[in-house]
Amino acid sequence: MSTLQDFTGYKPTWCPGCGNWGIGMALKMAFVEMGMMPSSVMISFGIGCSGNMNDFINAYAMHGLHGRAIATAVGMKLANHKMPVCAVVGDGDCYGEGGNHFLHACRGNHDIKVIIHDNRVYGLTTGQVSPMAEKGQKSKSTPSGIIETPVDPLALAITQGATFVAQTFAGDTKHMVETLKKAFVHTGFAIVNVLQPCVTFEKKNTYAYYMQHVYKLDAAYDPTNKMQALAKAFEIHEEKYPLGVIYQAPRKAYHEEAVADITTPLISQTRFQDFNNLVEEFI
Amino acid sequence: MQYTWKIGGEAGFGIMTTGLLFSKIAARRDHYIFDFVEYPSLIRGGHNAYEVNVSDEPVSSLKRDIDVLVCLNKETFDLHKKRCISQAKIIFDPEVFTPEGDIIPIPVPFTAILKELQGQVIMKNTIALGASLAILGADLSELNSIFEKQFAKKGEAVVSLNQQFAQKGYDAVMNANKEHVISVLGKKETGKKLVINGNEAFSYGAVAADCRFYCAYPMTPASTVLTTLAAWGKKTGMVVRHAEDEIAVINSAIGASFAGARSSVGSSGGGFALMVEAISMSGITEIPIVVFLSQRPGPATGMPTWTEQGELLFAIHGGHGEFPKIILAPGDHKEMIELTLKAFDLADIYQVPVIVLSDMLLSEAHMSIQYDEIQGEVNKYVPNRGKLIASADETYKRYLLTDDGISPRLVPGESKTYYQSNSYEHLEDGHTTESDTERIKQVDKRALKMQKYMSDHFVAPTIIGDINSAQTVFVGWGSTKGVASEAIKQATELGKKAAYIHFSYMYPLDKNKIKTLISDSSKKYILVENNSEGQLGKLLQMEIGVSFEHKILRYDGRALTREQFIEKI
Ligand SMILES: Cc1ncc(C[n+]2csc(CCOP(=O)(O)OP(=O)(O)O)c2C)c(N)n1
Ligand code: SF4
Repeated sequence: MSTLQDFTGYKPTWCPGCGNWGIGMALKMAFVEMGMMPSSVMISFGIGCSGNMNDFINAYAMHGLHGRAIATAVGMKLANHKMPVCAVVGDGDCYGEGGNHFLHACRGNHDIKVIIHDNRVYGLTTGQVSPMAEKGQKSKSTPSGIIETPVDPLALAITQGATFVAQTFAGDTKHMVETLKKAFVHTGFAIVNVLQPCVTFEKKNTYAYYMQHVYKLDAAYDPTNKMQALAKAFEIHEEKYPLGVIYQAPRKAYHEEAVADITTPLISQTRFQDFNNLVEEFI
Repeated sequence: MQYTWKIGGEAGFGIMTTGLLFSKIAARRDHYIFDFVEYPSLIRGGHNAYEVNVSDEPVSSLKRDIDVLVCLNKETFDLHKKRCISQAKIIFDPEVFTPEGDIIPIPVPFTAILKELQGQVIMKNTIALGASLAILGADLSELNSIFEKQFAKKGEAVVSLNQQFAQKGYDAVMNANKEHVISVLGKKETGKKLVINGNEAFSYGAVAADCRFYCAYPMTPASTVLTTLAAWGKKTGMVVRHAEDEIAVINSAIGASFAGARSSVGSSGGGFALMVEAISMSGITEIPIVVFLSQRPGPATGMPTWTEQGELLFAIHGGHGEFPKIILAPGDHKEMIELTLKAFDLADIYQVPVIVLSDMLLSEAHMSIQYDEIQGEVNKYVPNRGKLIASADETYKRYLLTDDGISPRLVPGESKTYYQSNSYEHLEDGHTTESDTERIKQVDKRALKMQKYMSDHFVAPTIIGDINSAQTVFVGWGSTKGVASEAIKQATELGKKAAYIHFSYMYPLDKNKIKTLISDSSKKYILVENNSEGQLGKLLQMEIGVSFEHKILRYDGRALTREQFIEKI
């Protein structure tokens, strides 16, 4: 059995009141409640305020490159599929710099849990717009307002083949913990988009804003209905944010098809040494 | 004796397969071969040619003159006649064109045979093989048994149809031109041989090195490593992944390596360019990775199917910031296997990125190598994973300062501890730091690793020929070794005194071991490279402080030739 203390690393350097505090706590709580240990999970961190969680939470971890956390996690999982793997990323990280990896990880259904700190800005580089920013939002890099419309990450994930798509809110620890746990139980590519206020650089999407605009999916909601899930995802355009598991579908995870001997992690398999067998084609 | 057979025709009609079959048959008859293919970056249309240099001794390059030219179209003759020897044998279809000049015409009625046996155009290749084997004094036994194996699944009828086409080509020569048959491909007993190209050699080496994860995105001339390893995947258990782009490729491989699997990636210059940020990450996180970089003429998309050694300095400098890395450039196919095994060990021992440089020439040219030597090499090989450990206690520190700069690297999963690999500068325990003193400690620690490399693993350039008596000394690297060796052999036969200094361990360099090699003022040193800037020359200037007055630089996308060496002696 583990405790929160086991997972607790350095004291976070996040701004007071930042949504990242709640997300960090919820992730630790979920780990504890699932009976995991810092040694039993691999985490791939992106670069951003979000990725800075690397120093605040204990695990076998890689603090890699901006945008590449999913790609890194893909390799981790294939090398040792017996360990759960998650990626902690920002919305700039995941939907911008690493957008291509996100898209293709959905297709591949890699068994990775991706926790996106969706704060609609680039926090760490002091508040420029992220791909989640609303059209017209002004920032230092877009003084006349951003021209692009935002990414719709949930719809994107659903349409590209993700098999678990959820949304939760940094102001609701209990809901985050429950959602994260469901993601970890799922086998396949799971995204948990966490609506995260950035108290320093984002003045619209505050806790108060989200309190008014989020709502929880009720027990009657059927996440296996893809069209209905898409309709839920599209609600972002009306500033409505459903919380909970929006879409879930069963499909073989990538490693289940890619690792020849699924009973043993790749790193523990016996070494192939029948070299003669391979050279026949060179004769 | 060396003897060159060449076949040409329109792209998309099986020239490559035919050329390779010819090489294999020559090798099965126990001759040595070196072959190379010419093709445009097109799937159809354009000109394809395949050239095989057959020899009774080991051979490592093409030669200048063509002895037999098989023309599946007129263009082949027009393009290559200038390289034909006097009285070269020209195999052609009299219904298509008639070659003229100082040649021996060997007409083969390709079109008529196709009509008679109702074959598709592609069967011209089979006829050509039959005719070629006839003119070179071989029988069809090897070709027939290859067909039996190749088409076993398609049934007896397909096998015998192919055999019939080959026989028709064979008979066409024997009936009308028996007097021109020369005994080039007589059967010998020189030991079983493999016909392998550089990419296959790397792939084979990677399997033997126990690489468990290979990730790539197709790019000529590196793509066939991906396809070869993928084809073997079911047997070897290696996870071979064609990822969405080269950035994903290398980040995934580093993730797999972090988790404990020997991992590798491959590309050409453009894909490598997308990988450099992650190479730098491999440097600071100290996660081993082997990068196969097969060069082609750049910049940008360049000339995809031609050859150049234009990325030595890019490989050395690829990656922002200062961190150790090792660059190896095998000179031939056997060295490719040896250095691939070495590359995986070095990556693990020093916990650094190791780049294995190839180029179009080395990647796609086939060479015959003795089966026994290769088997000996891979069978005796035991992976050296350096300080990789499977267990540790609570006091474990990933970036522990040690005497040699190398810290024990724990496979994630050990229950007594945990750690992070950090692309930010870090403390010994892996946590992020911006401390000035800790920064210096870690920079120095990483650099220290290369001191050990210098004493334990760096290998000085090798010398081909008699350097003591040589007045002319060529200096080159990588795939240049093949042609340089042949040039030195030829020069010696002509009574000329020359030698070649060959670099395979490109970076870092041991100044002391190299300087003495190239500083005899009584000798003329000539830099030879398949690029326009003389990149090894620049490197040696920068690292060792020597400069080259004389240079042979070839950058037309074609390989260096022996004659380019000989005329400088
Ligand atoms: C290749 C690269 N480009 C740019 C940066 C600089 N950078 C660091 S974090 C970041 C954006 C962070 O935004 P986001 O991913 O949304 O995370 P947040 O800080 O908001 O949590 C950028 C642009 C970088 N580290 N690497
Ligand atoms: S800048 Fe924003 S996202 Fe970053 S820690 Fe501060 S409040 Fe949080």
